Amino acid sequence: MDKLDTWLATKSSRRRFLGRAALGGAAVAAGPALAQSLVDLHLPGGNAERPITSAFPGKGSMILQRMHPPLLETPMEVFDRDVFTPNDQFFVRWHWADIPTSIDVDSFRLTVRGHVERPLSISLAQLLRLPRVEMAAVNQCSGNSRGLFQPRVPGAQWGHGAMGNAKWLGVRLRDILDYAGVKAGAAQVRFGALDQPVVAGGPDFGKALAIDHARDGEVMVAFGMNGDQLPLLNGFPTRLIVPGWYSTYWVKMLNDIEVLPGPDDEYWMAKAYKIPATPGANVKPGAKDFPTVPINRMIPRSWVTSLGEGQAIAYDRTIPLGGIAMGGDCGVAKVDVSADGGRSWHPAKLGTDHGKYSFRRWDAQVPLAGRGHVRLMSRCWNSAGHAQPMEPIWNPSGFMRGNVETTTIVAS
Amino acid sequence: MKTPSTGALAASMIGIAVLALIVTGRPGGHAPAPSPAPEGPAPSSVSFAGFTLTSDAVSLPVDDRQFPDGPHADVINANCTSCHSASMALTQPTLSAEQWKATVTKMKEVYKAPVAEQDIPAIVDYLTALSSHQAK
Repeated sequence: MDKLDTWLATKSSRRRFLGRAALGGAAVAAGPALAQSLVDLHLPGGNAERPITSAFPGKGSMILQRMHPPLLETPMEVFDRDVFTPNDQFFVRWHWADIPTSIDVDSFRLTVRGHVERPLSISLAQLLRLPRVEMAAVNQCSGNSRGLFQPRVPGAQWGHGAMGNAKWLGVRLRDILDYAGVKAGAAQVRFGALDQPVVAGGPDFGKALAIDHARDGEVMVAFGMNGDQLPLLNGFPTRLIVPGWYSTYWVKMLNDIEVLPGPDDEYWMAKAYKIPATPGANVKPGAKDFPTVPINRMIPRSWVTSLGEGQAIAYDRTIPLGGIAMGGDCGVAKVDVSADGGRSWHPAKLGTDHGKYSFRRWDAQVPLAGRGHVRLMSRCWNSAGHAQPMEPIWNPSGFMRGNVETTTIVAS
Repeated sequence: MKTPSTGALAASMIGIAVLALIVTGRPGGHAPAPSPAPEGPAPSSVSFAGFTLTSDAVSLPVDDRQFPDGPHADVINANCTSCHSASMALTQPTLSAEQWKATVTKMKEVYKAPVAEQDIPAIVDYLTALSSHQAK
């Protein structure tokens, strides 16, 4: 490690720290445990109530989808408070139940191996000395909003809260790979983690990126989240950040980086998290035999967050409406809103731009046609010119929902 | 990714100096109080340039919820809950026997769940019955 330390010393002398702006708005104080409280996710066909739990370490009030291994969803009202999701209400998703419950910062090592000139074993003390970068980016589960698919599909029955936005602080993956010296002919980089299958022979979780993607200068190894270390359940001490791509690639408790001379042919890349190779990952409901590709870039989405499904309000000629939007793999260009089920649209005012991979707040004042049920909608265009489709897609895994969502309220 | 201006750099260096004091004082930030701290020395930590990583140890809640009573509940409780909570199945929408069979088979063949072949029909029957009941 002498060479690494020497290299670190040269890097440190040219350190570039990015400003760590204070997060707008106060973090939500965790309430007391509310074991009996239920939330209705309004999934079509029912069976949509879930408990609210505060029983998880480092976590406040979360929607309990599954205790073991944890699937914890962020309540929608959290997204109305701030475009940055507090660490203690950031969603949690683990595949296997063998999750280390203690991490020692002195003994932890991040290994870099495979098709490289210099295999590495990097301590956290060394990682902290590498040039730092900070970026706001949305982390969204491939199956976010799966519970809204019609016809319904098996899998974790998420509402919209399997997502979050944070300021990630860490090190460029490119810097680590460059020091290790990627050999000619490298094709992909596979990322492994400390969690393990609970049964012998079960597929150990790992994901891979193309070498050029891994070296694009944006993919990072993060150790900071909104100014603090990561909660253990969000991947302490290090997780991969893949801006603009779905969460499946954002490997938590990252401890192994393996450069491969060919494509990763293991289960989690070759078989799991595959989408139809069709526009918008859309196939006819019930379709089974179609070509697939690994899920990849995110698409634009937006949500009304200032009012909830079924909420009663006092009628007024116009009402304020607010929410969040994301561009997917690029920035948010504009958001339009409707209060009549999509017949007429009004431009929303965009809030502070925290970078193209961040959530963006929007606010608008919209006219109400009358009293009674009001169907609210928001529609995002990203900076590449792609708009959210009006109609939902379908695929058997329930991945990549992105259509315009509807929130029905009652004005009286 | 942002590139800092000279001014921003200067400001952030000051910020980091301030931050060093803050971070030292509040590892874990605004997280709610975890389960009672174990007896013994303070957890180890590593720090550099205003950022500290502190060793973490947590205990995760234990799920003792079983599948509801019904024909073959004993079989599903014996076969399924060691890998995942019953809620994984209990939160599913109405699925057909064919869909449940595909799911149980995937658990055995892909995820290597140690489920005996002869137990699969009972598990599928249980889940199919539960699933249709929940939709009502």
